[in-house]
Amino acid sequence: MTAIDTELAIRARDLRKEYGSAEGLVRAVNGVNIDIARGEALAIMGPSGCGKSTLLHLLGGLDRASGGELWMRDLRLDQMNEKQLAQLRRSEIGFVFQAFHLMDELTARENVELPVLLAGRPQSEARRRATELLGEVGLSDRADHLPSALSGGQRQRVAIARALANEPIVVLADEPTGNLDSAATLDVLELFQRIHTAGQTLVIVTHDERIAATADRLITMRDGAFVDETVLRGGTVGPLGAYLGLEG
Amino acid sequence: MSRFVLILRLAARDFRRRRGEAAMLLVVIAAATTALTLGLVLRGVTTQPYEQTRQLTAGPDAVATAFPYHSGLPSNPTGLAKVSPIAQAPDVRASSGPFPVAFPVMTAHGHTDAVLAEGRSSSAALVDQPKLTQGSWVRPGGVVVERSFADALGIHVGDQVILNGRKFHVAGIAVTAALPTSGLGFLEASSRWPNPGLVWLSKAAARSMATRAQPLGYILDVKLAQPAEAESFANRYTASGNYRNNTGTPYVMPWQAISQQDGLLMRTDQKILLIGSWLLGLLAVGSLAILVGGRMAEQRRRVGLLKAVGATPSFVASVLLAEYLGIALAAAALGLFLGRLVAPLLTSPSTAMLGTAGAPQFTVETAAIVLLAAVIVAGLATVVPALRAARTSTVDALADSSSPPKRRSWLVTRSARLPVSMLLAVRVGARRPRRVLLNVLSIAVTVSGIAALLFARATIAASQFGSDTSGSANFNQFDVGFVSKTAREDQVLLIVSILLVALAAVNAVFITRATVQDSQHTSAIMRALGVEPGQLTAGLSVAQVLPAFAGALIGIPGGFALFTLANQGGGASQPPAWWLIAVVAATVIVIAGLTSIPASWGARRPVAEILQAEAS
Amino acid sequence: MKQEVILALLAKEPSHGYQLRGRLSQALGPLGDVLNGGQVYVTLSRLEKAGLVFSERTPGLPDRPDRRMFELTALGQERVSEWLTEVSWPKPDLAEFHLKLIAAASAGLADPMAIIDAQRRDLLRRLREAQLAAIAEPRGSDGSLLLEGIVLRLQADLRWLEACQASWTVRRSQS
Ligand SMILES: Nc1ncnc2c1ncn2[C@@H]1O[C@H](COP(=O)(O)OP(=O)(O)O)[C@@H](O)[C@H]1O
Ligand SMILES: [Mg+2]
Repeated sequence: MTAIDTELAIRARDLRKEYGSAEGLVRAVNGVNIDIARGEALAIMGPSGCGKSTLLHLLGGLDRASGGELWMRDLRLDQMNEKQLAQLRRSEIGFVFQAFHLMDELTARENVELPVLLAGRPQSEARRRATELLGEVGLSDRADHLPSALSGGQRQRVAIARALANEPIVVLADEPTGNLDSAATLDVLELFQRIHTAGQTLVIVTHDERIAATADRLITMRDGAFVDETVLRGGTVGPLGAYLGLEG
Repeated sequence: MSRFVLILRLAARDFRRRRGEAAMLLVVIAAATTALTLGLVLRGVTTQPYEQTRQLTAGPDAVATAFPYHSGLPSNPTGLAKVSPIAQAPDVRASSGPFPVAFPVMTAHGHTDAVLAEGRSSSAALVDQPKLTQGSWVRPGGVVVERSFADALGIHVGDQVILNGRKFHVAGIAVTAALPTSGLGFLEASSRWPNPGLVWLSKAAARSMATRAQPLGYILDVKLAQPAEAESFANRYTASGNYRNNTGTPYVMPWQAISQQDGLLMRTDQKILLIGSWLLGLLAVGSLAILVGGRMAEQRRRVGLLKAVGATPSFVASVLLAEYLGIALAAAALGLFLGRLVAPLLTSPSTAMLGTAGAPQFTVETAAIVLLAAVIVAGLATVVPALRAARTSTVDALADSSSPPKRRSWLVTRSARLPVSMLLAVRVGARRPRRVLLNVLSIAVTVSGIAALLFARATIAASQFGSDTSGSANFNQFDVGFVSKTAREDQVLLIVSILLVALAAVNAVFITRATVQDSQHTSAIMRALGVEPGQLTAGLSVAQVLPAFAGALIGIPGGFALFTLANQGGGASQPPAWWLIAVVAATVIVIAGLTSIPASWGARRPVAEILQAEAS
Repeated sequence: MKQEVILALLAKEPSHGYQLRGRLSQALGPLGDVLNGGQVYVTLSRLEKAGLVFSERTPGLPDRPDRRMFELTALGQERVSEWLTEVSWPKPDLAEFHLKLIAAASAGLADPMAIIDAQRRDLLRRLREAQLAAIAEPRGSDGSLLLEGIVLRLQADLRWLEACQASWTVRRSQS
């Protein structure tokens, strides 16, 4: 494979992940090829157990592929050791989980500061960045609350702010609204839309068609492989009102 | 009935599901009960057995001796003349003797040395009739050997011994309260006369062994009207006017001095054992707290489930009790068995007194106390979660596997400036401050124990050195057995240290394991945020090493205090400073080593798996 | 659009035609964009012919439809009350699509799966536009509430398509 297109944030070729062996072999990710452009928002849908989370973990360097090639910009993930992967996660990847996974004993602000501190940057910078991000996600007034004092939607917004803390190449979200009611889902959806508009590359695994539909591209997975790809951006379906039969 | 079966079945199922936990609980309670058993048994040994022997042998209130310092007539009539009048003294109520004493060279089982051979008649003496523990009393051609001496040399009834070239057979083994006894002195103070072992033989045989170079001595045993006044009696009749100074003839020794001398043999190692058993008990309680605490947190969810399907709080309590009681009783039985096995190793050396009779006292009372302790532990382990279960709502219990960690905001703020591993260590520690405290205490207790033992060792060494300077050619009775004692104390020190260190190591591993388990979720998040496995291992390890270091620092003065307390004003000598430094350093190194195993295990588990499990 | 909607909008007070248009477009938000201006006046003149409204010239203004003041007649009032108590709901026409799939499969003229896919893409794009429009609307406005309804209906349709897809996958593998 030659030098990667620098316009790509992520590129995977024949990516595989298997669990177990012989009889019990599960091909959780089975030969995935994907190119994700910088600034693109990609949604992944598919039935439970089709390998979405596994793929996301591979893309985020949380798990190692059984085979295939994987780039993030010009970094080759499949050839990295544990330590390099950790460094990559620290600086280039932001994770958002369904269960939020905030640190219970840290305030919202401290949670957002954490990745900055882990990256070895000074406390003052961490503080500045956290304040700025909490403002962006609309939680300035909740900065000193513990997660237990926040609603689900607010927690997820803190988690998103945390994912953005180190200005990662890509934000990976695994069913980020799976635990949220529809109002909170809208908040998160809006937030994702905003950071997407700001140029952030996003990969979102979701069961919610509304979230999927706002992405630039939607990939449908089944049994560890991509079965459909729909480009949603561009192209028009005519005026919205037509759907209601308002015209004429 | 079916309810009972259900309770048992639920308890058994939970066990089968968590065999490792159950086994560990068993080990810890067994270790605790072993320590408790040892402590109780040793306390039994500590009660002075001298009194008992004194009663059984009609022990004297004072012993007057006339031992020869110079060559002279073999029958030593001047000595006899000096000691005999004491029998007529006004305070004397009864007396036996004076008995002739010879100092022949004895050969037995390949050892050759001087012994103290006291001539006795075949009939029983009114005062100081040695109590036979084996065989029969002296007769022509037959000697009786003092028991601790016989034990030291391995002499049994029917054996042959040679006294000044003449063959005798051993008719019996007996104990006495008239002389402080330590047979070991015979071996250690080899050929250093006089520091003899003791044998009884016929008066004729004793007399026949006297020579001009080695004349007879005489011993007179008396009972006084006022036994409590024995010391002033002794001072009045001792040639020097003070029984603590035995230059001159006659020399009178009060029973208090004999008792004290005898007690000295046991006292230091008993102190060590006593300190050791306290410390073992403390550590055992510590490990129980960790383990039961950890289990209680786990039980929270289970209790919630049981309540959700309609179990009453008392039913929940029954299930928990059934679980813990089974384990606790099995562990207590194991602890009793092990304690019984180990105790003789600690207490066997001194067999001079009837009271100890070789085997430590292992009574029904001991067993009952140990079992009761186990039941109390089971009860406590049940009561706390049961009460909590009754108090917290079912929903809360279901939602939460353990109570949320407390927030320590100043720690969080301070730690922000630290390097990553230290930051992790501080935050992991801050999550469970009580566990950190337990960790500090556990290590402090262990190091206190080891330091106390070092202080004891140094003190004994110093006192031994002191006694050597006063040890002259005089018959210095206070000198008896000192050399042998340090050897025995060393052995006791070693055994207690090993037990302490073993229990502390188990504790350290438990604490780390509990911490790793507890911080598993945090660790997974941290790794998702890009912390390296190495940093995480270091962080988790440092979270244990910091408290260990603090504990070790507390433990050094703690050990000093402990020893001074146990030595009851006897003072303590400072062991070489590098010993203490080495203890602290070794503690830190050992803890780092021990904790890095579970820590690295925890740091290397796949993150994705943990986070997935938490989400569902 | 039903005539009764315009009628009901007049129930509050007599209004000019342009006022009616403004009220309508506020309630519809971005969806109102498809309404052309003439539509309201065509409807109004029909209603006037039916005797449900009457209009009068506003003094000092040129006599143009958007300058006239419209008002309900008694009959119109009655009609509005009737309409408000009617229980009516738009009927989604799922049967047509359903039969299309069956016909395509039985005649072997087209692959039902391809039809589903095409429909799904179309629905997804509509959903995307509705959702993006909803995000752009101020929270709590009348327009955003209507958009929410559209989004939810599209979502329901997409889920039904998913069920169709699953069902036709099974049928295909069985035949
Ligand atoms: N740690 C694991 N061990 C074994 N099998 C796994 C593991 N993780 C996931 N799988 C399997 O891999 C498949 C894909 O799982 P996952 O990626 O979680 O699916 P999704 O996120 O799409 O629901 C499933 O069949 C699952 O059972
Ligand atoms: Mg998943």
